Amino acid sequence: MVKTKSKIEEEINAIFSSDRPWITIVWDDPVNLMTYVTYVFMELFGYSHERATELMMKVHNEGKAVVSEGTREEMEHDVARLHEYGLWATLQRGDQG
Amino acid sequence: MNEGHGFTRHGEELYVAQFADSEKEVLINLSQQIIELLAERVDQQDQDPLAAMVGITFHDSPPDDEVLLRLLPNAYADGVDAAEFRRYTESVLRTKKQAHAMSIRTMLMSSEDGSIELNHELANAWLGGINDIRLALGVRLNVEKNSHEELELLAPDDPMRGVYGVYSWLGWLQGNLLEALMDGLES
Repeated sequence: MVKTKSKIEEEINAIFSSDRPWITIVWDDPVNLMTYVTYVFMELFGYSHERATELMMKVHNEGKAVVSEGTREEMEHDVARLHEYGLWATLQRGDQG
Repeated sequence: MNEGHGFTRHGEELYVAQFADSEKEVLINLSQQIIELLAERVDQQDQDPLAAMVGITFHDSPPDDEVLLRLLPNAYADGVDAAEFRRYTESVLRTKKQAHAMSIRTMLMSSEDGSIELNHELANAWLGGINDIRLALGVRLNVEKNSHEELELLAPDDPMRGVYGVYSWLGWLQGNLLEALMDGLES
């Protein structure tokens, strides 16, 4: 399918509108302990205990939370590290959230 | 017969635990199962050796096995992006998870009296390895659907009762190691 001009413009705008357009989302999981999720956020992202706990509670209560933002490559790196520690994570463009 | 007790912090960065023989056996056995399960997903023999060397695999579709799918999840909701990401990263993820399970297995196997000493890096490997076992058991116990109350009430002769017992014990062990680690982080 040939992309319309406006679609291409939209994509180009998305690329230039922000240099941090991608996000990593962690999804709620009934197995992972709350303390474990908090610890992984602190270890992988260097977040304070307070911020890591806040994010963990958001995952727990709302079913998901955005845990980091950046370029696509950075988010792929974050997702890979979260998967290594068994957290259920995905990445996507920030404007899809 | 050694009696088991959980992790305690020793000094700056040392976490020490004692495992009973039966606990040792369970952990060694389950770690081995994780290693073997991940190995089942190993790449085809006829794979391009150069591609294999740089970590590219032919696996671009998610595993059929539910446990493997939970251990090696999709990184994107979109199927095409998920497949591409998997092709370039899955073998690295598998290797890391096998290494976590291997560190639990080999350390316990070489500990005659069941005592274990972990530094920070090994503690992280153990946390990840214990978590993978819990994820695997969680899929088998269907914790997504069954509440803990329901699992507590399993009949004594239900084979899942024993699995739930191990799952609960591993949760306790992991929480215990986390407590020892977090002590250090907050001080």
